[in-house]
Parts: sequence; C-alpha cells; structure tokens
Amino acid sequence: MTILRRTVRATAMTGALLAALAATPATAADFGFPVLVPVTGFLSLEGTSQRNGAVLALRKAPAGIGVRSTVIDTGTSPETAVTALDRAAGGGDPVLAVAASMLGTQMLAMLPLAKEYGVPLVTVSGTASITEQGNPWVFRFFPGDAVTKAAHARYVVEELGKRRPAVIHQTTAYGQSGQAHLKAEFERLGVRPVFEEGVDASAKDLLPVITKALAAEPDVLVLHLHSAPTALFIRQAAAHGVTLPVVAGSAMHQPSTAALLDPAELKGVCAETAASPVSGGSPAVEAFTAEYRAAFGTEPDAFALGQYDGMRMVLDAVAGGARTPDAVRAALSAGRHEGLAMTYRSDGKGNMAHSAVIVCYDGRSRVPAIAKRYDDVTGVLK
Amino acid sequence: MTLLQLLVNGVALGAAYALVALGFVLVLNATAAVNFAQGDLVMAGGLLAAALAPHLPVPGILLLPAVMAVMAGLGLAVCAAAYLPLRHRPPVSVFISTIAVGIILQNGATLLSGPEPKSAPPLFGGGTLEIGGLVVAEQSAAIVVVAALLIGAQQWVFARTQFGRRLRATAQDPEMARACGIPVTAMVLATFAIGTACAGAAGLLLANQFFVTPTSGGDLILKAYIAVTLGGWGSVPGAVAGALVIALFEVVVSAVLSYPVALAALYATLLAVLVVRPQGLFGEAARRRA
Amino acid sequence: MRRGLGGGLPWAGLLYAAGAAALCLYALFGATPYGLRVLTVAGVYALAAIGFQIVFGLAGALSLAQGAFFGLGAYASGILSSQFGWDFAATLPAALAVPLLVALVVGLPVLRLESHYFALATLGIAQILLLAAVNLPALTGGANGLAGVPGVVLFGRTVPRGLPLAALVWGIVAVGGLLAWRLSVGRWGRALTLVRDDPMVAATLGLDVGRLRLGAFALSALFGGAAGALAVHTQRVVSPEVLEFPVMVTILTVAVVGGRGRVAGAVLGAVLLLHLPEWLRGLERGYLLVYGAALLLTIVLAPHGLTGLVERLLPARARPLPAPRPLPEPAAPHTEPLRVEGLRKAFGGVWAVDGVSLAVPRGAILGLIGPNGSGKTTLINLVSGLERADAGRVLVAGRYATALRADARARLGVARSFQAGALPAAATVLEAVAAARLERSRGVAEAEGQGMAVLHRLGIADHAATLCGGLPAGLRRRVELARALARQPAVLLLDEPAAGLTDAEKRELAAHLRALAGEGLGILLVEHDMGFLLPLATRVVVLDQGRTLYDGPPQGVRQDRRVVAAYLGEGGGA
Repeated sequence: MTILRRTVRATAMTGALLAALAATPATAADFGFPVLVPVTGFLSLEGTSQRNGAVLALRKAPAGIGVRSTVIDTGTSPETAVTALDRAAGGGDPVLAVAASMLGTQMLAMLPLAKEYGVPLVTVSGTASITEQGNPWVFRFFPGDAVTKAAHARYVVEELGKRRPAVIHQTTAYGQSGQAHLKAEFERLGVRPVFEEGVDASAKDLLPVITKALAAEPDVLVLHLHSAPTALFIRQAAAHGVTLPVVAGSAMHQPSTAALLDPAELKGVCAETAASPVSGGSPAVEAFTAEYRAAFGTEPDAFALGQYDGMRMVLDAVAGGARTPDAVRAALSAGRHEGLAMTYRSDGKGNMAHSAVIVCYDGRSRVPAIAKRYDDVTGVLK
Repeated sequence: MTLLQLLVNGVALGAAYALVALGFVLVLNATAAVNFAQGDLVMAGGLLAAALAPHLPVPGILLLPAVMAVMAGLGLAVCAAAYLPLRHRPPVSVFISTIAVGIILQNGATLLSGPEPKSAPPLFGGGTLEIGGLVVAEQSAAIVVVAALLIGAQQWVFARTQFGRRLRATAQDPEMARACGIPVTAMVLATFAIGTACAGAAGLLLANQFFVTPTSGGDLILKAYIAVTLGGWGSVPGAVAGALVIALFEVVVSAVLSYPVALAALYATLLAVLVVRPQGLFGEAARRRA
Repeated sequence: MRRGLGGGLPWAGLLYAAGAAALCLYALFGATPYGLRVLTVAGVYALAAIGFQIVFGLAGALSLAQGAFFGLGAYASGILSSQFGWDFAATLPAALAVPLLVALVVGLPVLRLESHYFALATLGIAQILLLAAVNLPALTGGANGLAGVPGVVLFGRTVPRGLPLAALVWGIVAVGGLLAWRLSVGRWGRALTLVRDDPMVAATLGLDVGRLRLGAFALSALFGGAAGALAVHTQRVVSPEVLEFPVMVTILTVAVVGGRGRVAGAVLGAVLLLHLPEWLRGLERGYLLVYGAALLLTIVLAPHGLTGLVERLLPARARPLPAPRPLPEPAAPHTEPLRVEGLRKAFGGVWAVDGVSLAVPRGAILGLIGPNGSGKTTLINLVSGLERADAGRVLVAGRYATALRADARARLGVARSFQAGALPAAATVLEAVAAARLERSRGVAEAEGQGMAVLHRLGIADHAATLCGGLPAGLRRRVELARALARQPAVLLLDEPAAGLTDAEKRELAAHLRALAGEGLGILLVEHDMGFLLPLATRVVVLDQGRTLYDGPPQGVRQDRRVVAAYLGEGGGA
C-alpha cells in the first residue's frame, strides 16, 4: 500500500528529524521553538502543513544555536491551544518563538497568554482579527483576509471583468472572516454580489446551493470553502454543466484539494493564495518543494511555505544575535525578510505578508500556474 | 424539474445515510448497546476503499465486497474489544467503550493515511446520465440501487433464513434465545460484523462523491442517532425513514432556506415530532416495564 | 450496593480525602503554570460533570444538553464581560440564570419523553443553540467567537491565572460538590433514584415525578452554566467550540468513567481524563490513539467507574440499622376510603373496563376476581392514577380524585402493590420500604426509622439489610405490602399478593390483612386463588370483559350461574 508505505516513511523521517533535533546536545545557546498546531481534528490537514513547514525550517539552525522543538497538538478548541502554550512556554525553558496554530479562535485565545509570557507567535492564520487586538507578539506570515480577499475580489472584477458574482462561503471561522472581507472589497469595487450564502462544513450535497446560486444569474462563482467542500462544489458544478468561471479561496490551491478532482474538472478554476510551491517559479522554491516531498512524502502548500518562511525569519534573527524572545520580537517587527513566497515585513500590527497570487488550472494538470500577482496590498478593513 | 433533481440527490444521500443508520440499529437491537463508533466505522470504510483503489483498479461495485468483508472483520474486533467484556455491565459503559473505539479509529486513520481528504472510486462510473432532462450522477443512481439491494438482502436474511431468525430471536430476548440453544455470543458477533459491513458499504458509497477525511465520522454518528430515534428506537423501517428525512432536509429544504436555517428547521421539526409522537415515527408507544 | 452520590464509606472516603490532599499538595508545591492550567480545566469539567451526575446519574435522564448549558454559561459570561465589561460577580449569576431559564422552558415539554427520545430532544436543542452561535455573528461573533474575554475579574481585581485561578475554580467545585452530595444522599436524591429506577412506582409512592425531574434538569443546568463561565475566563475567548458535541462527550465520559451518579466520580473522572492526554502528548500525533486505548481499557477494567472500582476493593462496612421510629398518628379512617362510579377505559377500541362501579367501605376487604384480561389490573391502574379513565369517577376518602395524577392520589391515601413486583433490585429491604416515607418525612433518617417500624410490624425486620434483588417470592410480597403500608393509606390496592406463596405464607398474609382491615383500612384485593380470597373478603366483585358480573357476598359467588359460566367453569376455581 503506497499510503501506508508513504506514511511509514514520512513518520520515520519526521521521527529521525525530531530525534536529531532533540539529541542536539544542550549548550548555552540552546533554545526552544515549540510548534503548537492542530495535527488532529478538522484542521489537521492545514495544521500538518504548518508543522511540516516549521520542522523543515528548524532543521537549518544557525551555527552554534541548539534548536529544541516539540510538536504539540492544539486540536480544535481554544482550550487545548492555551494549554499547549502553557506547556511550551510555562516550564522555564528559554523559548524564543512559537509556531502557532492557524485556527483563528485558537490564536485569539493564545494571544493574551503570549503577551504575559512575552513570546512571539509565528502563524499563518489568515482568518480572524488576530492582528487587530493591539498585541505586539503576533506575526502572521500568510496574507490576512484583508490581503487575499482584496486580490480575490480584484481578480474577479478587474481581470475577469465580472460584475455579478455569487459568493458561497463556509460557516466556519475561516469562511465567515473571508466572507466579511470579500463583501467589503466587492463594495469598494462597486460590485454587489447577486447571491451570498454560508454552507456548513459538514454539508454533503452542494447541489442545493449551486441551484440557488445559478438562479441568481451570476457571471462568476466566488468560493470561500475548505478543501473537501471546494472540490465537491467544483465537481458537482462540472457535473451539472456549469460553465461559469470559478474563483476559489486558498483551500483550492492545496495539492490535496486538486488531487480529489480530475484535471478536466479543474478547467477554468482559479484560486487565491499566498503562493503555490508546487507551481515552482524559482530555484529556491523548487528546492523547498523537493526537500518537503522527500521529508514528508506529500506535496507542500502555501501554508507550509508561509510557516517555513516565518520560522526562517525567526532563525535569521537568532543568527543575527537575538537571544531573547523580546529581541526576536523586535527583529520581526522591524526587519525585512526575503522569503521564498514573498518579501515579508511588518505593517506595525504583525501582518508580515502583503502579497497574494491568483493561480489558475488549465484543465490538463493538477498543478496550477500563477495568473496574477498582487503585491503590497493593504487591506481595506479597519 | 429542479425539485425533481434535488429529490433524486436527496434520496441518494438518504440511501447512504440509511445504511449508516441500519448498521447502528442492528447492533442496537441485538445488544441494546449504542454503538458510538458507527460514524467512525463509516469513515474507516471510506478510507479503506480509497486505500484499496490504487491496488485493485476495478470499479467500486467490485471493491464493495472486499471492503465489506474487511469491515466485517473489523466489526468482530470491535465487538470482542468493546462489547463482549461489558455485556453484563451497565449499558452506559458500552457508550464509553465505543466512544473510545471511535477515538482509536479516527486517530489511527490520521496516522495511517494522513489528514488529506480522499475519494473512493465510483460504483460504476463517474459520469452523469440524462434521463428526460434530469442530470443524474451515475453514482447517485448506483447508490440508491446498491443501498436498496443491501437493505433488501438484509431484510430477506432476517425474515427468511434460519440464521436471520436466530439473529432476531437473539435481538428480542437474549436470555430466552440462549435457553433455546441459540449460540448468543456468535449471533452478537455476527450482528456486529453485519452492522460494520453496512458501515463499510456506506463509507464506500459516500466517499466517492462526498470524500472522506479522518474526522468525517463525528457528523455521521449524530445523523445515525437522529435517524434511528426519529424513526422510532429500534425500528428498522423507522431508521431508513429517519435517514431519508434528514437527507431531504439537507438537500431539498436547504434549496429553499439557507443551509444553516434548513438544519435548524430539521431540529425544530424533530422536536415537534417528539411532542406529537413521543415514541418516534415508527416506534411503539412506551409500555410499562414489568 | 450502589446508591447516592457518596455514601458513608470509611475506607473509600479516607482514600478520596487522601487523594484530594495529594492534589492540593501538588497544586501548591509541585505544579508548573501548565500543570495548574490542566488542573483548572479539570476542575471546570468536574463541575459540569457533577451537574450531569444529578440529571443522568441520579434521575436517570440521558440529557445531551449538558454541553449546551456549559456553552450557554460560557457565552453569557463571555459576552457580558468582553462587550460590557461586567465583573465576574455579575456575569456568574447571568451564566447561571441563562441556562436555568432554558432548562425550565424546554424541560417542561421535553422531560416527559422516554429515555432516548429525551436524549434526542436535548441533542436537538443543543444543536439549535450551536447553529445560533455560529450564524448570529452580531451577538456571538460567529464562528470566530469573541476575543478580549478577560480573566476572572472579581470585584474589580483580576484573579491571576495559575494557583489563584485554580484555587477559585476548585473552591467552586468543592462548594458545588458538597451541595450536590448533600442533596444526593438526602431525601431529594433518594427520591430521584426512585424516579430513575421506575417513574411509575415513584408516582404511586406520592412523588411528583415531573417536578423531581425538572428540578434535576434545572440543577444540572446551573452546574453546567457555572462550569462554562469558568471555562471561558480560563481560555479568554468564547467561540462555538464550547457548544460543540465533543464537550458533551467529554462530560459524559468523565461521569461514566468516574462512576455514574457519584460526586467523587465526577471529580476523579475529570482529573484522570483531562490529565491523561497531557501525559501522552510526547507521542505527538499518536497520543490520542493511545488515549482511546487507555479509555477503552479503563472502562473494561472498571465498568462501574473508578468509584465503583474503589468500592469493590474497599467495600463499605455494613451500616447499623436505625432504631424504629413511630409513624405519625394516622387520620381517623374515612367511612368510605374508595368509591368508583361508572369507570370506563378503552384500549384500541376495546373496552378494558366498561362501566364498573364499586365501593370499599372502612374496614372492608373487597375481593376483585375475573378471568385473565377481564380488566382487574386496568381497574387498579385507573384507581391509582397510572391510567386515565375515559369516563367515570373515582373518590378517595370522599374526595374526587378523577382528575388527579398518580402522585396526588397517593397523597390522598391510595397505596398499591404491583403484580410483577416493583422493588429495585439494588436497594435493601429497608431502603425500599423507607422510600414510601420520603414524601412525608423530614429526612432520610426519619424515613428509615419509620420504615423499620413497619418492617417490625410485619415481622421482617431481620431482613432489613438484605438486597431486594435476591428475595424469595414470599418475602418479596411481604416487603411490597410493607412498602404500601408505610404510606399509611386509606385504601390499599393489592394485585395478586398471594401469587407464588406457600400455604403457610398465605395464612400469615391473610392474618395480616385481617388485622389491617380491623384498624379501619379499606382493601381492594385482586386474586386468582379462591381458597385464599373467599374466606378473607367481606364482599366480592367479579369482572368479565370489563363489566361487573357479580357484586355481593363471597358466599354467593360459587352459586352465581353467570360467574360459573364465565370464570369458575373454565378456570376450575384454582
């Protein structure tokens, strides 16, 4: 069984990797970089990407710096997340930075505690108002919804020239946050969606919502759904002969989403994302993708890449002399980092990523091509 | 036409849910135990089908017997580990043991196959049929037919065969059955095997169109529980009817109302049904326990 | 035996006290901030599970709304503190009031449902609340929830996390636990277990089943709300996760693994189950797999929960039997304890009782006979209020009882026994009899003392400590009689009390019944055994197909042509 073999290999590799990390002899310059992400529960797909990205970055510690890192599952509840943060940061170990969950509610719960401990949280959570809490300890290495949804809406209106979008979003934190920003951005562009509806993540058949959306006579379908629902929507729409262009949310760019569909079903589908590592683009990104595949046996996505870039920036700061969490925080908030996905710098609130891309599928392959890049996008909300 | 289209999809989804509920109610009747792992067993069946597919490049319909056989074996294991040691214990302890089995299955699945959503092969083909202007996914039609056949076959076994009569006798009164020389433990094991095979079949059917992830079981157990109770605790036709009602709310009502409102309407209807018929749709009125 | 939430168990009690002390020492000296947080969260779940023990463990209602009450409390306290800056001293009462209100409003229609239908209804309510939380972002912040929930701010001062917060949470657990324990071992808790074991029997003992259940449901909501409020200030954000099904599953698991119905079980279960995954964290992705296996192993090894295991290893010493206490002086017997006029009842179009009238005067023993299915047991059910009559009237001690429920009729003076026997197998003889006094006595001690007095009167005081489950038929009938008598009824309805008795036992029973009638009690006696009944009865009524066939002196029964044709002819007089 390839899955089994792949998993065994991935587990063995990760184990070896972690063992290597753990076995690094404790020296004076031995610091903790705990990885607190959801590797179980409904966000385990995205959380595992985060974990893999962080682990890969932490492999390359600067010379003379011992990296200790444990992965602690944050599950799905805020409670588990704060417990994990207490476990990681409350034990007296010198922790320089935490790779933190991409689940918005978990971030909101961890923020006050991170402030009390004084440890920077490095996340790729695009959702929720995590950088609007006035908390200086959060750093987001994935464009927030203010950025991605601006790109999303602008591509629909400016590039595709569509004026009658139908917006279908999930009723989860991810979906509601994205929907609010899409709505504001469309309004700014002078476009009013002809249809808007939330769908539960557990909804099986999406024909009802497709039917209702089509009844509103849209000229484009704008999705902001999780991985499996995105694939389901696209497949059902294709089966019912819908030829309208589909511009989906970041979940579409995940290779595991495309893997659920036939390339033909993907024709005419585009998606917003921070990056698409499998699409290549530069030797550095291709090297990352190859390394990731070798280590974990799966395809990397933008979340993995964002978390990787974030942890690389942390390690660069450490290499540059930061030896306390506060010094890391200062370096992250003031510095600039040429990452693989983009150039990162803080806007003063901890938003590090200001670029988004639109990727499109040509109907022949499951690897999308970058269709449009939006740099230096500032959000319109708040 | 649209309504008809939605109805077809609703019935297909309901048929798959019915298989989930059926496995649940069979075990319930045979053991009076609530199998909280049923949803996760469906998930396991789906992932099993997705994992077998690359090695057995055959249509889903040929994969189905293999999945059901493996799942039947898993059912025996679940019975031996989580039910038999507790059979003379308070029924709530089986709640907990099956919750534990669910946790094991869910996390075992994450470890073995990763967190990515997976898709199982379609029963026959992934295309669509056009019947009088109606676009019917081949898989939807196949789900209805296969689920109906499985449910019908099961009813036939229960009603017409010696084995089925023994199963029913065990379900009605295990002590009496034992006194009549029926091997009750073997019958209970067989029931778990059949119930889990049902879950496996449902998993394969659902995992093609709707995909499967290690966490997709949690939602299904709620639906199975609602279907079985709504239909009337312990009633097999009731469970099938309850499953169809749920699916019609999800697919047809949600085409009129929004999805969250349709769900709320389902629960409100549920409460209303219980006020009018406290014994569920097909349940017998509560009798005085001796 | 398994009863109450705690019981007076010296060794087990000592063990629990030692465990609590060890936990205190750990919290004070050994725990890191992380350890204290896990302990705090365990306290939160202990509190929620204590409430669940009351409704599920004691009252036997599988409420799947406990997680919803938890979530309601969390949202109430979270919204008021984060949006309006309320103090915890003000949000806690709100977090208690909101779930309480919901429990009272939904409890009335929902609590009359039987077991799994009740569970489904409560699950439906929980799911509607979850949908509301996710889809009403203006109020709840939607799926993202509301950030900015402060820690516990009490009278303007923030309780620091760590030891002070843990102490606050566990202090509330201690107060709540003590309260629940007192209630559970008292009159109310005993009454709830009666309702759990058999609501119909409980009603015939004068207990208002609906009110008891509603009380238990409401109390569980209070505990759930308090736990939710504490949870939200511990995690500092309120989001729909607090209303999701996993919270309910955790509470259920804690209650059952700890020991169903026990306060100590809720605490033990919460401490173990909240720490277990933390101990296994080192396994990264596999930890929940091992957790599941450990949970399975625990329930297989301790199917009655951890407290059940403790009590099996450290069994309770037998309690000394209480001294008999006199029952209160009964009211002077009414001249006519029971009168029934034109009573009719149909089942599915067939008249089970069709216009029956009869009277039981003071001191009379009215024999009621008839072939199987002639309506005798239905008549007793109609008189005791377990079935509603379609027409006709019932007067108990001169007062109209037709419109009253079973418990109100019991309080008017109706007591009955059951044909099938309705003693709880796990209760002792004394507990079963004392149950009949719960509605009238001031406390459990008084009820048991009075129960002893009744046992002495019927000559079965030696069996007071025996479990009802293992009683031989003769004794069981006697205990049932004792239980009915403990009600100090005006009229006693006995459904085949001599079935399965030896001749000597029958003679003894007859003597007891005569003596009781001599004191003015009216007795309605359903019996097949003519040799037992005819010498005993002062009057006999014969039913056939729901109608009165004969009503007259016992001597006339064997001479009546119609009776012989309908009954004696085929039954042979037994």
